[in-house]
Amino acid sequence: MLELTVNGTIHQVDVEDDTPLLWVLREQLGLSGTKFGCGIAACGACTVHVDGQAVRSCSFPAGAAGGRSITTIEGLSPDRSHPVQQAWIQEQVPQCGYCQSGMIMAAAALLKERPAPSEAEIDAAMTNLCRCGTYARVRRAIHRAAATGRGR
Amino acid sequence: MRPLVVAAFMAWGPALAGQTTDSAAARRQEGVQAFGRMSAVLLHPRCLNCHTNGDHPTQGDDRHPHLFRVVRGGDDLGAVGMRCSTCHQTANNPASGVPGASGWGLAPLSMGWEGRTPRALCEQLKNPQRNGGRDLVALAQHLATDARVAWSWSPGAGRAPVNTPRDAFLAAVRLWVERGAPCPE
Amino acid sequence: MSGSSELAAQDRGLGRREFVRVVTLATGGLAVALVPAPLRAAARALLTGVALEPGVPLGPWVRVTPDNVVTIIVSQAEMGQGISTTLPAILTDELGAAWESVRLETAPFATAYQNPRFHWMFTGNSESSQAFFDLMRRTGATVRAMLVEAAAQRWQVPSGECRAERSAIVHASSGRRATFGELATAAAQIPPPQDPPLKADRELTLVGRSLSRVDVPAKVDGSAVFGIDIAVPGMLVAAIRTAPTIAGSVRRYDEAAARQAPGVRAVVPVPRGVAVVADTYWHARKGLAALQLEYDAGPVAEIDSDLIDARYAHILEDGPWATPVLEGDVAARLGAAAQTVSETYTNPFLAHATMEPMNCTADVTADRCNVWAPTQGQELAVHALAAALQMPEDRISVRRSPYLGGGFGRRLLPDFVIQAALVSRAIGAAVKVIWDREEDIRRDHYRPASTIRLAAALDRSGAPQALHARVVSPTILRPVAPFLDRQMNDTRVDPSALEGMLEMSYAFPARRVDFHLFDTPIPTSVLRTTGFGPNTFALESFVDELAHATRTDPVAYRRRLLRKNARGLAVLNRAAQLGRWETPLPSGRGRGVAYARAFGTLIAQIVEVSVHGELLQVHRVVSAVDPGRVLDPGIATAAIEGGVIFGLAGTKTEITFNQGAARQSNFDRYVLPYLAEAPELVTEFIAGGGPLGGIGEVSPVTLPAALANAIFAATGRRLRSMPVTRHGLRFA
Repeated sequence: MLELTVNGTIHQVDVEDDTPLLWVLREQLGLSGTKFGCGIAACGACTVHVDGQAVRSCSFPAGAAGGRSITTIEGLSPDRSHPVQQAWIQEQVPQCGYCQSGMIMAAAALLKERPAPSEAEIDAAMTNLCRCGTYARVRRAIHRAAATGRGR
Repeated sequence: MRPLVVAAFMAWGPALAGQTTDSAAARRQEGVQAFGRMSAVLLHPRCLNCHTNGDHPTQGDDRHPHLFRVVRGGDDLGAVGMRCSTCHQTANNPASGVPGASGWGLAPLSMGWEGRTPRALCEQLKNPQRNGGRDLVALAQHLATDARVAWSWSPGAGRAPVNTPRDAFLAAVRLWVERGAPCPE
Repeated sequence: MSGSSELAAQDRGLGRREFVRVVTLATGGLAVALVPAPLRAAARALLTGVALEPGVPLGPWVRVTPDNVVTIIVSQAEMGQGISTTLPAILTDELGAAWESVRLETAPFATAYQNPRFHWMFTGNSESSQAFFDLMRRTGATVRAMLVEAAAQRWQVPSGECRAERSAIVHASSGRRATFGELATAAAQIPPPQDPPLKADRELTLVGRSLSRVDVPAKVDGSAVFGIDIAVPGMLVAAIRTAPTIAGSVRRYDEAAARQAPGVRAVVPVPRGVAVVADTYWHARKGLAALQLEYDAGPVAEIDSDLIDARYAHILEDGPWATPVLEGDVAARLGAAAQTVSETYTNPFLAHATMEPMNCTADVTADRCNVWAPTQGQELAVHALAAALQMPEDRISVRRSPYLGGGFGRRLLPDFVIQAALVSRAIGAAVKVIWDREEDIRRDHYRPASTIRLAAALDRSGAPQALHARVVSPTILRPVAPFLDRQMNDTRVDPSALEGMLEMSYAFPARRVDFHLFDTPIPTSVLRTTGFGPNTFALESFVDELAHATRTDPVAYRRRLLRKNARGLAVLNRAAQLGRWETPLPSGRGRGVAYARAFGTLIAQIVEVSVHGELLQVHRVVSAVDPGRVLDPGIATAAIEGGVIFGLAGTKTEITFNQGAARQSNFDRYVLPYLAEAPELVTEFIAGGGPLGGIGEVSPVTLPAALANAIFAATGRRLRSMPVTRHGLRFA
C-alpha cells in the first residue's frame, strides 16, 4: 500500500512501487487529465508537479512519491482560475488539446519560479511537444499570464 | 580513510626516505599507471556525458548531444522549468528507460573534462579550484561514495557500463593517492 | 456554453474526479450508490450513448427539452480543427438559438450524419465546413420554420410575423413570446418545410466571427475526454505488441509467465502480435514484457530505405505509366524549346504521430458490438466491424469519443477498431486497447514517399510552354476509401496522389502528367495535406528553379504564371508585401515563396531563414490565404499557424527503414519541432468570394517548398528532398 498526496488529498493505493505515477493518477485515482504520449519522458504530455516542480510522471515511480505533494492539471485550480488557464482561454491556445495538460503544468511551474520569463527561458523550459503546433499561442499565453503579475 | 592514509605515510615515510631514487621512480610510475586505469573510467562516456565543457549534457555510448533540447541551466541542474529532475529520478527507470541516481545533474563547468589529455585531466582533478575544493582524500571519497559515480557501473539497459570493474577502479584511486597522485607526462 | 462534455455541464459543481472514479472503480458494475444523481446520469449518458437531456427531437440534428435546453448533434470529429464550434454555430445562427446555452452531443453513426458530398460519414480532407455549411443552414432554417409555425398556430397569427430570438419565438406586435422548449412538442408535429427561407448574411451574428471555442475550457482543466480516457463498467485494459517488421509475425512467447504477472487476466493472439489483458494498463504492460516475445521477420525482411529509393529511381526511368493528363504536344515542345529544365524531387515517408496514441474500447458479445473510439471514420469502422465479426450492422454501435488527440487522417482507418473488437470477443469482456508510442509509429500507415520528375520547355522569354510531370507514389486513398478500389485497379491512378498535379493553378500551354501506382508492402495512407503536400513540394521548388534559370525573381515569375488569376495574384502579392519580399537581407539569410491551390483554398507563403554552417533557423513564415469566405477568423488563423509547424515537422524528420522495420518508433528518433524552433507567424485572410474552401491542411502544403526555396536564397544550395538532415542541416 502506498500513500500519495495528490491535489491536497491523501490516497492509499495498492500498486507496485515501480508503477509510473502517470498510470496511478489515471487509473487508480481516475485523474485522466494527465496524458500518456510517449512513455520515455520525451513529449511532456504527462507533466505534473511534485513539490511544485515539473515532473514527467511516466518516468516517476509511485514508490518515490511518499512524503511529496503531487499536483495534477485537475488540481491547478477548482475552476480554471489559475492565471495560466485563464491565459490559455484568452489566447485560445488548445487545438486537439491532448498535449495541453502537460503544457499548462510546465508553464505553471516555469511561472512559479520565473514570474516574468524571458524568451530564452521560455524556450528552455517549454520543451513539451505539440503536434498541432500551438507554440506561438503557448508563448503568447505565457507572457499574458506573466503580465497578470499574480504568478502563483 | 584519511587517518589510515596518514598512518600509512607515517609508517612508510622514513622507509621511503631511505630508498633509492629508483624506488621513488618506480613508485611514481605505479601512481601514473594507476592514474591511467582511473582515466580509462573517467573518460568513458558514462562519466563524460555529465562532465561536459558546454551548455548541455551528452548522452549515449556515442555521446550525441542530449535530446529534447536539454540544457545545463544556471546551476548545472537544468533550465528553470526543465530541471534534470523533471525526468531523472534517484534510480534508473526501466519503464521509461531514463537513467537515474541521487543528485542527477551535470558536473560544474570547472569539472568539465571533455577532450582532456590524461595529463590535463590529472592536473584538473587535483586542483582544488577545479574539483570542488577537495583534497586528495576527499576526492577519493567522492569517487568511492557518490551515487552518480557508482551509477556508471549500473547505468541501465542500452548503456554500456564502465568496463573496468568498480573495485579495480577504486583500488586504482587509492593507489594513485598513496603514490602522491602523480600525473603522467 | 458547455461543450460536448455533458460531463462538464453536470459535474461542474462536484468535480471531475468523482465522476471518473465511478467508472474506473467498477469491477462488476457502476458503484451507483456512491454517486449523486446528476453524476449517475452523466455516467450513463457517456457509456451508453443515450442522450443526457432526452428532449424532443426536431429532426436528426436538434433536440429541445421542455425547459429550453437546446442540444445540437456534432457529426464531425473534433480533432483540433474547431469543427465542433463552427458547424453548431452555423446551425445555431440560422436557427436563432442562444449560443451560450446550446449543448453539444456527439453523433452516432447514421446516414443523417454522412458527408452530403460523398454520402459517407467521416471527418477529413479539410471539407467538413464546405460539405456541411449548406446543410447546417438549411437545418437551422427548417427547425426555425417548424417552431415558428407551431407558435403561429398557437397564437393564431401569421407565421411571417414571428421570428426566432435567443431560443424563443416572439411575435413582436403582440409581445407574445414562447421558448423553443414550450413549442417543441407542437413543432415536432409539423411537417418539415422543403425549402425554408434562409437568413440574409447580414442577419447572421455568429458566422464570420471569431468565437470562443467550445472545447477550450475542457482542454485547459483536464476534463476533456479523449478516446484513451474512455471507461466503461467492467472494462479491462490491454497492452499490445505486434512484430516490429513490416510483415513480421510472432514466433513464440511465454504465455504462462505473462499470466502469472499481477493483474493479468488473459493473453490474446492478434494478427501479427499478442495482446495482454489486465485490470490496469501498467499490469498489462508488465505482462507484455513477461511474454518475452520472439518474432519472425517475415517475407519482406530485406526492406530498407536504400533499396526502396533504388526502386523508385528505377521506376522513374522505366515506368510503366498511366497518363491521366495529356494536353497539347508536350514532347514536341520539349524538343523544340529554347531552354529545358528537368529536375527530380523526392518526398519521404512521414508518420502521423498524433499525440494521443491509437486506442479503442470495445465490448463484443455474441450478438452485439459496442465500440468507443477516437475515430475519424465512424462509417468505415461499422462496415469493417460487420465484416470482421460477421455481425449485422444494426447490432454494431461505434461511438466517437468527444475529442481526438489529433487525427491527421490516421484515425480514418478501421484497423485499430477491429483489433480491439477481436480482443474483446476473445475474452468475453469489455476492453480498452492502448498502443504505446512504439506500436503507434511502427503500425502507422505512413504518408507515402514519392518521387517526382518535372521537365519544362521554356521559350525565349523564360515562360514555360510545356510541362511534363512524372509521379511515382504508393496509394494514399485505398485504405480509407475502399469504394475506390475498382476504379484504382482499372485506371492505376490514385486521385489523391495526383492532387496538385491533375488540376494546376498555373496554365501551361501543353501538359502531360504520368503516374505510376507504386506497389509496396509498406502500409501507406492519407496524412494531412494528402497528395497536395508532396506534389507541391516538387512543383513549387521546380517553379523556383525555372525562375532562377531565367534570372527572374521568384515572385515575379509566379506573377506572370498567375496573370489571369486575380485571386491567385491577390494572395501572392499580399504574401510578398507582408513577407517584405523586396527588402534585402544580409548574407546567410534568405526568403522563399510558394503558392498553391489546395482543398479549394489559395495560399501564398513566404518563409524567411538563416543558415550558418549546419544550423538552420526559420525566422518568419507569412501566409496569405483565400478560402473564399472565412467562417471563423480565430479558428482559421489557428489552423494556418498550427499547419506551418506541422509542415516544418515534415522537413525535420522522416520514417526510414532498415532490415524490414522502421528505424524510428518514438520521439527520440522521430523528432518533432520544438517551441524554441517555432518562427514568427503572420497570417492574413482574403475573402476572395469564391466557393468555400478548406483550411485545416492548407498551410503545410506550401511550407516545404517555401523552406527549400528560402534555403536556396540563403545559401545557393538547392534541396530537392526532405528532411533537411539529408543535406547536413539541422534546426537551431
